[in-house]
Amino acid sequence: MNAVVAGQAPAKTDEVELATFYLGDALMGVPIEQVEEINHHLDLTPVPRAPACVRGVMNLRGEVVTVIDLRTVLGLGPAAVDRRTCNVVVRSRGEQIGILADRVGDVVCARQSAIERPPANVAGADGRFFRGVFKLEHGLLIVLDVEQVLAVDAYPPS
Amino acid sequence: MDEREIISDFVIESREHLADIENQLLAIEAAGADMDLELVNTVFRAVHSIKGAAGFLGFTTVGQLAHDLENVLNLVRNRQLVPDATVTDVLLRSADKLRAMIEDIDHSNGLDVSEHVTALQKIVTGLLAEPIAPPAALPPDTAPEAPAGSDREAARPSEAAEAAADSTAPPTSPAPVAPAAAATRQPRPGTAKATGSTHGAAGAVPGATPITESNVRVPVTVLDQLMNLAGELVLSRNQLLQTVSSADHAALGSVSARVNQVTSELQETIMQTRLQPIGTVFGRFPRVVRDLSNTLGKQCQLTIEGQEVELDKSIIEAVGDPLTHLVRNAVDHGLETPEARVRAGKPAAGTVALRAFHQAGKVNIQISDDGRGIDAARLKEKAVAKGLLTPEQARVMSDREALLLIFRPGFSMAEKVTEVSGRGVGMDVVKTNIERLGGTVTIDTGPGAGTTIHVKLPLTLAIIPSLVVRCAGRRYAIPQASIRELVRVKASEAATRIERVKQAEVFRLRGALLPLVRLDRALGLEQPQEAAAAKAANIIVVEAGHLRYGLIVDGLCDSEEIVVKPLGRHMKGCACLAGATILGDGRVALILDIAGIASHCQLAIPEEDAADGPAADSVQETQTLLLFSNHPAEHFGVPMELVARLERVRTDRIDSVGGQQVLQYRGGTLPLLSLEQHVTCKARAEAAKVYVVVFAAAQREVGLLVPEILDIRSVPTQIDTLTFREPGIAGSIVFEGMTVRLVDLHEISRKAHPDWYDSQPVPQSPANAVPRVLVVEDSDFFRKQLAGFFEAEGFEVQEAEDGAAAWNALAEAETRFDLVVTDIEMPNMNGLELARRIRDDGRLGDLPIVAVTSLAGDDEIQRGREVGINEYHVKLDREQLMAAAARLLKAQARRALAGSSA
Repeated sequence: MNAVVAGQAPAKTDEVELATFYLGDALMGVPIEQVEEINHHLDLTPVPRAPACVRGVMNLRGEVVTVIDLRTVLGLGPAAVDRRTCNVVVRSRGEQIGILADRVGDVVCARQSAIERPPANVAGADGRFFRGVFKLEHGLLIVLDVEQVLAVDAYPPS
Repeated sequence: MDEREIISDFVIESREHLADIENQLLAIEAAGADMDLELVNTVFRAVHSIKGAAGFLGFTTVGQLAHDLENVLNLVRNRQLVPDATVTDVLLRSADKLRAMIEDIDHSNGLDVSEHVTALQKIVTGLLAEPIAPPAALPPDTAPEAPAGSDREAARPSEAAEAAADSTAPPTSPAPVAPAAAATRQPRPGTAKATGSTHGAAGAVPGATPITESNVRVPVTVLDQLMNLAGELVLSRNQLLQTVSSADHAALGSVSARVNQVTSELQETIMQTRLQPIGTVFGRFPRVVRDLSNTLGKQCQLTIEGQEVELDKSIIEAVGDPLTHLVRNAVDHGLETPEARVRAGKPAAGTVALRAFHQAGKVNIQISDDGRGIDAARLKEKAVAKGLLTPEQARVMSDREALLLIFRPGFSMAEKVTEVSGRGVGMDVVKTNIERLGGTVTIDTGPGAGTTIHVKLPLTLAIIPSLVVRCAGRRYAIPQASIRELVRVKASEAATRIERVKQAEVFRLRGALLPLVRLDRALGLEQPQEAAAAKAANIIVVEAGHLRYGLIVDGLCDSEEIVVKPLGRHMKGCACLAGATILGDGRVALILDIAGIASHCQLAIPEEDAADGPAADSVQETQTLLLFSNHPAEHFGVPMELVARLERVRTDRIDSVGGQQVLQYRGGTLPLLSLEQHVTCKARAEAAKVYVVVFAAAQREVGLLVPEILDIRSVPTQIDTLTFREPGIAGSIVFEGMTVRLVDLHEISRKAHPDWYDSQPVPQSPANAVPRVLVVEDSDFFRKQLAGFFEAEGFEVQEAEDGAAAWNALAEAETRFDLVVTDIEMPNMNGLELARRIRDDGRLGDLPIVAVTSLAGDDEIQRGREVGINEYHVKLDREQLMAAAARLLKAQARRALAGSSA
């Protein structure tokens, strides 16, 4: 059990690798240790009477995996699925969960100490979903708090 | 290995040590002075190991209790003490406490065990006070084994000091121990830290997580088998990859067959690793029964059969509490006091029998007692008193329905609420829990004749048979266990047969109102066009608890065995869903929760409306038939009551073994019959898939191969028993222009497998060597069927075509009958009149009467009861009928016995 919770990277290196993806023009990232895989597997079965943020369930190599619509979580309305839409599969509390994003980005290496507190009102959404922002050469990378995004209680059933 | 793992191992090991301690202690008690010393040693060693490890790990309270327990056991071992009931009680209670502490080991040091310690020490000192007994020295072998060197060891009172305390100042001995326990409450830094770090890494739930519950012991042979299968799977995969790349279609077929076979075997073997004997649950009952009968002042013998029957681990774990409740009920409510039993002519000691056995791919568990039985009339009084029923409802309620009252929430069977049971939170929970496991509970009882509760459970939960249905373009799975039947209503009839009662849709199914739920609406799905009324409706009749309703779906896909997968945490609030599964095409289908849908839709049984509906307008008797054809030109029918269910299978799954056709099916073998082999008819055409009509015969399931199902229809019972009569064909009817021959399923199964019918137990008759039954029925067809049922069970049958003929037969009979089975609606003299005459006759007065009827309205049942009919059953419900016959004969025999001894 040496999975590292985001923001608690081994102190000696101070480096954190972030898997990134786009939501519109916004670049977002999650610590790569939390990501199991990123795929374009979008054959979803919708779940009746599930919370609005649940896009459906899918078969990922024999496991039934919940797929969350990140746009809905962030209050941006449901995502339009196209061929670039990607599914970022993370492991959270022993469960595999997919997070839908618009398209996949690169892996970015960031220094822990360079991650700043998020400015209020990033991407027009609630700040509690963000761990911080990291300045890249060409813009900002928003570091997501996966656990907050997946917090169940925050979304009453639709 | 960190400390957490060591503790977890300790817990697992201690659990195993304590697993059988109750029965061992009880066996020691039962043997008295002739006790098996090896058994005592086993218990002693188990407790001793726990003591040693607990001391090493700093669980001082566990260590202390184990120590005192060990002291008493040592006396027993040295033959200085023969445990009587009191001593055994103390030992049992201490073992319970020990177990409870081990289950919550992290908090064990904070618990107070002084009560148990004092009681144990009293036993030791009480014995020491007797001058003959030598001083209770500690067993010499404990000293070297005692964990040494642990820094926490000092906090624990040393054994020598304790031993000294034992012999010098016994009554106050808990005193020196208590502060020691308090002192050790904190110093477990190692454990605390370990917990903390696990918590941090996994982000798990705060607090102490349950330590285990995820261990299974697997025989090495099974592991070897798994390894072999895994090897074969790898080989098959390689073959598959090769074949696919070479695009060799012919070879692909054989490779896929191989993969198929290996996968099934793998599945089966893995399932085996999860199987555990039910004995692990049964093992606790001797103790339960002993304690309970002591408390209640009853005498009770417990017999256990079928301990070795295996069930899935998860079911074993879940079924313990419901079974315990049933066993307690049997002792508390079922058995009478010894005095009452003797008065009733029974032996003073009652018997509770537990029996587990496999049948038809399910595990059956029976809990029976030979006690007072359940009195339906009293149940009704009670329900009225509690306001669960109106007096009017109670009046028209049949006995069988009344028995179901005990499964209602808030209903307690006990006359007075005892400490033991009767808190009114019992049977409803039992039923719900067992149904949640995919099982069923039924009751078989009669006043004075004892009670038998039948529990049927599936072998495993992980894979369940289910029906896949279509709704709003998606597929959903419904567990077969909740499905009672399927009904298709034609588009032309949908408007008239689906009625509306106060906004709710209902369907009239054989005279009863069935509430309907449209699945798309229940799930909040939008359908493209609202043309539901114009379409044919597929109604799936499902049952959840005591609620039966119809689920309207768009279409039926297939009957499949599905692997149940849990839904993620975001869907915990979805009451309508029980889980998900992956279908053959790799897509996910959701599994419906039948009880959840009912409560989501706030379904209730439309009781008031059922009474004033146009139910009783059809006086003509009808019979529901499953119509099918074997060859397109020839039509056949079987009574629906005899059909357990329908399956659709691929013909290549049917094996031919020794000239007989069988289907590998739900973990067992289903023998199959082909119609053309047993009756005169054209052979069925070869097809890729066939239906299998599954029915019960000779206490097993049998399948009849049927290429095409035509319909399920209610038809009049004017049956021609002459024209087409031959063995296997009971008669024929002309229906909507076609001639339908009625297949006698029992006759053809008897023809095909005469050996099945050889060794059937014949019910005992008090008066005759062979029990005699009089079958009274005006319809030739039904009379022949009924007579056939009874003959098959070993009865001597006399037939009568109406009440008058029956009355003559009874009057002229040289030997008396044991049972009368009669129809109600008959010319000349009807069944009610016949029953009245029998009851008024001094000689025949107590002859048991069973009424069979195809329209058992509550009013009619009530009238029947007033004239003295014992039981009502649906015509052709063979199993129920035979159970009733056996029950009534048994009660009769008991009465005869009581009468002769009085």
